[in-house]
Amino acid sequence: MNKLMSTVFGLGLAFALGPMANAQAPTDPQIVAIVQTANRIDISQAHLALRKSNNPQVKEFANQMISDHTALEKSVSDLASKLGVKEEPSDTASQLKQQAVEESRKLASLKGKDFDREYASHEVAYHQAVINAATSTLIPNAKNAELKSALEGAAPLLQGHLQHAQQLQQSLGGATSGGR
Amino acid sequence: MRQAKRSALTASPARFLSPEFLLAAALATVAFAPWLTAQNSTGSPQIVVIRQMHFEPSTLNVKAGDKVEWKNEDIFSHTVTANNGTFDSGLIAPGSSWQTTISKTGMLVYHCRPHPNMTAELLVEQPGGHEQHEHGGAPGEGSQASLRWSPPMRPDEIHPILVNFTAALLPLAFLSDLLGRIFRRQSLYAAGLWMMVFEAAITPLTVIAGWWWKSTEANDLPAKLVSVHQWLGSAAAVLFLVLAVWRWAFHRRAVPPSWTYLALAFVALLALIYQGSLGGTMVFGQ
Repeated sequence: MNKLMSTVFGLGLAFALGPMANAQAPTDPQIVAIVQTANRIDISQAHLALRKSNNPQVKEFANQMISDHTALEKSVSDLASKLGVKEEPSDTASQLKQQAVEESRKLASLKGKDFDREYASHEVAYHQAVINAATSTLIPNAKNAELKSALEGAAPLLQGHLQHAQQLQQSLGGATSGGR
Repeated sequence: MRQAKRSALTASPARFLSPEFLLAAALATVAFAPWLTAQNSTGSPQIVVIRQMHFEPSTLNVKAGDKVEWKNEDIFSHTVTANNGTFDSGLIAPGSSWQTTISKTGMLVYHCRPHPNMTAELLVEQPGGHEQHEHGGAPGEGSQASLRWSPPMRPDEIHPILVNFTAALLPLAFLSDLLGRIFRRQSLYAAGLWMMVFEAAITPLTVIAGWWWKSTEANDLPAKLVSVHQWLGSAAAVLFLVLAVWRWAFHRRAVPPSWTYLALAFVALLALIYQGSLGGTMVFGQ
């Protein structure tokens, strides 16, 4: 069940992040906005997990997401200010927000272990989708060298989060991303 | 007669300057000198920098007994967590650092708990020179190296050595006084007195080495056992001091130790045996 939900969510994110590959390439201001939106979504869902979960591992993971994505958000924000880049809206950012609202609604309706499993599955799918988007679209299309380098520098962080989320998912008895 | 007994039991301060005492002091100085100089040479820690989601260097060669310090120069919090559970720094905030003393030889792989893709390793060699791996080292070379004497520098070497003195002196002090009471021999009382004094003097050092050991390897040991062992050991050090002062009072009054004193010493002996069994369980397992 969790695997199915995770797959469905992954597909949803792929639709949200996918158009970037087909439509016109995102500009640097749009890339900054997409990255910051992705950061804020993960922070907001981690706050939800802190409120709803009683599992210490889930809480620890959520605290880490808040801490890391807040640091990443600040570093991207500092870089954008330095480069004079202002966030600009895009379809991708809007779809990410819409997707996050739906996921938050789903999470809000769950309790206990069901919540923990859904949160962990979602974090696996989310980080996987963001890594794919970063490597296939955001990094190749970034014009500014510093922005490109910063995005490349964030990839290991997202990989680390993905592995941590997979460990969490396994310890909660959920399916691991990629199946068996 | 009373006068003669007093003179036999009372040591004048001048006796501390006897050739035997000076020889013992010289031997003690020679024995501890290499340890003291070795401590100076391992004073400054080796540094691993955490930067951009990496430990740098990813492989660090250190000697057993060296300090290693991890400096977090990243924008994220990280941990330094040994894969075998030997140590865990807890979260190190950006700009902060954490250090530990590495005590065991061999390859020690560690990672960051929140970011499992961050891994690195320490290659820990014997302080004296040749590498002697705990896991997978050449057996011939290892057995040769183990015969070579090197001064004890680490708490896991010092504590077991001192424990021997603590464990031997108390039963012998008790037995000497007990036999002294039975056979009414002054020489046995003298032995009982001095061994109790030495016991009280050396046990605080044993306790300090034990606490030091715990501070370097706390995560590798069963928490409840360590807790009982450390506090029972500390309480025993205080009890031995009380016993030594009490024993000294008998000596000053030139009377044999009372049965109450011997009973308390026996209780202390039982506690010491239990304490030893806890220590043995932690080192050798059940």
